[in-house]
Amino acid sequence: MSSLFKRVLNRYIGTAKHQFSRDASLAVGRNLPAVSRMTVKQAARLWEQHFLEHDIPEARLSSQYIIAHVLGAKTLENVEQRRLAEFLTDAQTERVWELCSKRLTRMPVQYVIEEWDFRELTLKMRPPVFIPRPETEELVSLVLQDLQAQPYGGKTGTTGLQCLEVGCGSGAISLSLLHGLPQLRAVAVDRSPEAVSLTRENAMRLGLQDRLHIHQLDVTKDGSEIVETCGVAQVLVSNPPYLFTQDMEILEEEILRFEDHRALDGGGEGLSVIGAILGLAPQLLSEQGRVYLEVDPRHPPLIQEWVEQRTVGLQYVETRCDITERPRFCILQKGEKRRGQ
Amino acid sequence: MAVICLAKMLSLSMCPFTWPNVLSLRTIANHAAGQLGSVNRHCITRTALQKCMRKTSHQYGCSKHSRSVHATSSLMVSKILSVDEIFTKRSLHDYLKRVEAEYHSYLEIVNTAAHQTDDEDLKLKRTRVASLGPLVQKIRDLELKKRELEETKMLLNDNDPDIRDLAETETEACHIAIQDLKQTILSLLIPEEESDMSDLVLEVTAGIGGQEAMLFTAEIFDMYQGFAAFHGWSFDTLEYMPSDLGGLRHAAASISGPLSYKKMKFEAGVHRVQRVPKTEKQGRMHTSTMTVAVLPQPTEISFTINPKDLRIETKRASGAGGQHVNTTDSAVRIVHVPTGIVSECQQERSQIKNKEKAMKVLRAKLYSMKLEEETSKRYQTRKLQIGTKGRSEKIRTYNFSQDRITDHRIGKTVHDIHGFLSGEELLEEMTESLQRFSEQEALMDILEANDQ
Repeated sequence: MSSLFKRVLNRYIGTAKHQFSRDASLAVGRNLPAVSRMTVKQAARLWEQHFLEHDIPEARLSSQYIIAHVLGAKTLENVEQRRLAEFLTDAQTERVWELCSKRLTRMPVQYVIEEWDFRELTLKMRPPVFIPRPETEELVSLVLQDLQAQPYGGKTGTTGLQCLEVGCGSGAISLSLLHGLPQLRAVAVDRSPEAVSLTRENAMRLGLQDRLHIHQLDVTKDGSEIVETCGVAQVLVSNPPYLFTQDMEILEEEILRFEDHRALDGGGEGLSVIGAILGLAPQLLSEQGRVYLEVDPRHPPLIQEWVEQRTVGLQYVETRCDITERPRFCILQKGEKRRGQ
Repeated sequence: MAVICLAKMLSLSMCPFTWPNVLSLRTIANHAAGQLGSVNRHCITRTALQKCMRKTSHQYGCSKHSRSVHATSSLMVSKILSVDEIFTKRSLHDYLKRVEAEYHSYLEIVNTAAHQTDDEDLKLKRTRVASLGPLVQKIRDLELKKRELEETKMLLNDNDPDIRDLAETETEACHIAIQDLKQTILSLLIPEEESDMSDLVLEVTAGIGGQEAMLFTAEIFDMYQGFAAFHGWSFDTLEYMPSDLGGLRHAAASISGPLSYKKMKFEAGVHRVQRVPKTEKQGRMHTSTMTVAVLPQPTEISFTINPKDLRIETKRASGAGGQHVNTTDSAVRIVHVPTGIVSECQQERSQIKNKEKAMKVLRAKLYSMKLEEETSKRYQTRKLQIGTKGRSEKIRTYNFSQDRITDHRIGKTVHDIHGFLSGEELLEEMTESLQRFSEQEALMDILEANDQ
């Protein structure tokens, strides 16, 4: 067994030297649990304990997700009972130790196993591209419900249904919409080259690349280019960076050290990117076209005020809450404000 | 007719634990045939024997024959009537006559008043005519076949041996056709349950017996997973709460596919295991239990829940949520506030998928509560109570030392526990018997109601 341990350690240090040398030295300093022959269940418990001792958040789940992933399952609940009592192979043990060591550096589980689920889709995850949050799954539900209720296709004729996403990150929103609506076409933009390439990779893996155009553009700078390249859409959807800059200080290490700050920090009041999107929206939308935004719970009244005072050609439709009853989503529509409203 | 009666008599005389061997069968058959006269002695003997052999082989579980109503065990015979036995009942014939009369009188009305389409009463009659049509047709077919049989039987005594042979074949064919028709008529009489066409949510819960009960629960859950695979149904685990020693405290799964609820509904109740547990050092036999609930899964349209009645709990409820946090805990717990019913799911990495699955279980639980209320009166008299009714009743025993499974509701016993727990032919055989028994009860209900 000591040879296995050596191999694991060597391999771990080997990869760490190239990619995460600082974190690696930290982790090794924390002494990895000794490698020995053990069952799935024992390994899960051992690593849970080890994570706990090192104050890794969600110790139990982290250990379980990583081990389930090594066994080819999504969660340990999905692994058959009898397999939990079976021994891990040397290769599996090596992989578990390697991945769990990464988690010891506070790397988010989604980056450690390099994938996560978003609604029906399993998406590739890679630092520093923003990891989609569960609230955004609900944003997609809102858009899908509206589009399924209103047959846009009939109105627009042959051009079909078109959607634009600003700040696509891993591609979660656009790809879920394309997955749910076979008649939909989408354009996704992001200012980060890593995000653009990850969205492209995910689109390819899911076979949705034919209906998705991806451009590396920054909504705060490349407004006119976006209007030129993207054409007119019925839906403009975005999960823009909406944290207030001061909130950045309270973030967990997982977010602060691994995720792209530009996908999180929305400026002083968290509105810098939102403002740019709303400013461009009338030029990007067809008549009655809608904007769907995920925002901070403090934002809806600010956005409503902002739209009523400044933006021409955009109406505030409604605020929707997330699963925890926080005001989380804003829906706006292109069109002049009617009298009496 | 003699052939059938003889075969039936033989099958009735069989006892499940002391199978008569083929030799003794032959003796009985020969003896019986001897009393029938010498002309067709040979052929009757042969046919009867063939039938006996076939039945015997079936009893040993060699073939899967779905229409053998009375061929399982003597215990069964006392409870499950054969098609022929049901057809000897006067009430059935009265009922069929009444149906025919109703059909003809309605048909008359519908045909003469063909133009007044907006009449509600007429519409009802038209629907009734349409729904009774197939049944009446089968009743007619049965009469025709019976007449045909009588005519063919005359030829059995013909002098020409070729004609006799032909007549014999014909007679046999008539008997089979008559059996088929009778079976069809009975199944047309049995009302469809509203929920029979729905999918279902299966719930298993360990009962008394500690770790041993949990181990047994895991085996039963696997059995139903095997049963779903056997039928080509989809089996989707919604909830799984294992115990430390590889057992199962509680689990739920969504099962969907053709006839899934219809076949699974009789599995609901308390299952009992008798064996020496792996953990038992002194070799003592333990008795443990687990409970199965089978809940029909309502469609979105047939059953709605007010979202205001729900309280949804997630890990993200505390703290800021959104981009502020990156949790991997995607478990969802839903509470239906008016009833206090709770359902939770952590099978998936996606929170919204967990929510959907938890909702599925919750809907099934609430729907079955509603069904239970509605149907409790209707099924008060029935022995086989469907769905969650009779959940507390012990329905089946798995005795490992005797390698047998006994269903207490119909007194049926099958052997080979290992085979049974694989969820294939043996479990299928059991559910088919239960289904026939239940259908028979439903039929008797109708006939009794008709008599009153």
